[in-house]
Amino acid sequence: MPVHNPGRRLMHGIGLKFVRRKVLGHGSRAVTANLSLTSMIDFLVVVVVFLLMTFSASGETPLTKGVHLPKAENTSDMVDAPIVAIAGSQVFVDGAPSGNTRAIEDSKRLQRVDELFNILKGKRELWKQLHPGRDFPGVVLLQVDQDVQAIVVKSIFQTAAFAGYPNVGFMVGDLPKNKH
Amino acid sequence: MAGIDVGGGGGKRALDSEINMIPMIDLLMVTISFLLLTAVWTHMARINADAQVPGPPRVDEVTPTEPEKQLHIEMRATDKFVLIWKQGNTVVNTIDVPRQDNVQSAGNVKVVRYPDLAAKIQAEWQMSGTHRDASDKKIDQAILHTDNETPYMYIIGVIDAIYQAHRPYNVGTKVEQVPSFNVTFSVN
Repeated sequence: MPVHNPGRRLMHGIGLKFVRRKVLGHGSRAVTANLSLTSMIDFLVVVVVFLLMTFSASGETPLTKGVHLPKAENTSDMVDAPIVAIAGSQVFVDGAPSGNTRAIEDSKRLQRVDELFNILKGKRELWKQLHPGRDFPGVVLLQVDQDVQAIVVKSIFQTAAFAGYPNVGFMVGDLPKNKH
Repeated sequence: MAGIDVGGGGGKRALDSEINMIPMIDLLMVTISFLLLTAVWTHMARINADAQVPGPPRVDEVTPTEPEKQLHIEMRATDKFVLIWKQGNTVVNTIDVPRQDNVQSAGNVKVVRYPDLAAKIQAEWQMSGTHRDASDKKIDQAILHTDNETPYMYIIGVIDAIYQAHRPYNVGTKVEQVPSFNVTFSVN
């Protein structure tokens, strides 16, 4: 059998001896580990399937920054309607600033928020033009921070009612129902 | 590399095809990242209230001969709720329910519950509610009285307790369970 010069050897390119020893695992545990591709891909596919099942194509209802919604148990499903948010003393309709409630907080009296009233009325007129011959549902959703005072809630509630939205829904976090 | 054996062969061109693992794992990772970013973790719902704005009388509406009984819920006191059944301006019955603010915190969000109030309202409706039959399309009215400074979370706690009482309601051929009361606010 002819004798050959030895060819290239794995790990011989590593210059430092202690690194080579460490990588080769002489006397100690190797630093590299094998990863089973089959189980890894199985895991990834299961995660993808789970996330796809919980995916909502309709998107998330936007929550205005600074609003912490209280939670409730006896709730209904969300509907598509204008969202009036109250964050601090600022009022927003579908994310656009629509007045503030400082005057109500200072006077402690029930009063109409004129800017909000005009915007909601405009939205109502627009809906009627877009859907001729159909009854206006008059639904509005209030997204109110948990610490907002009752007088502000009542004022916004009344403003929405006068603007033609008598069916008011209060947005809340959904709690799992207790068995009674 | 992983391969999929689809048989065949025998001197012809091999029918085995190989899937490149690197782009496949990349694709799975990108899909997972996208789904995680777009996932909705907070489930929102709504609690209804009726504004009862007086409008023009409808042609088909029969004028009621006498006012209906309504349940007024007073939450102005810190130690008790007062339930008042009223018919027009006449007080039919008054019940005191001890108030215990059961506040639970979950991070920034607080949950207020009044189980005793919910049980009492349910019992009151079963005893004195006007619209209890499944074929009755009307719903009893509950009017919430609160002071001006009460934080919103306590109002939601009380409305949640009111909506715990349910009644049967005919929807077509099916009978569904709907809240026994329709809630509105008192303005004074």
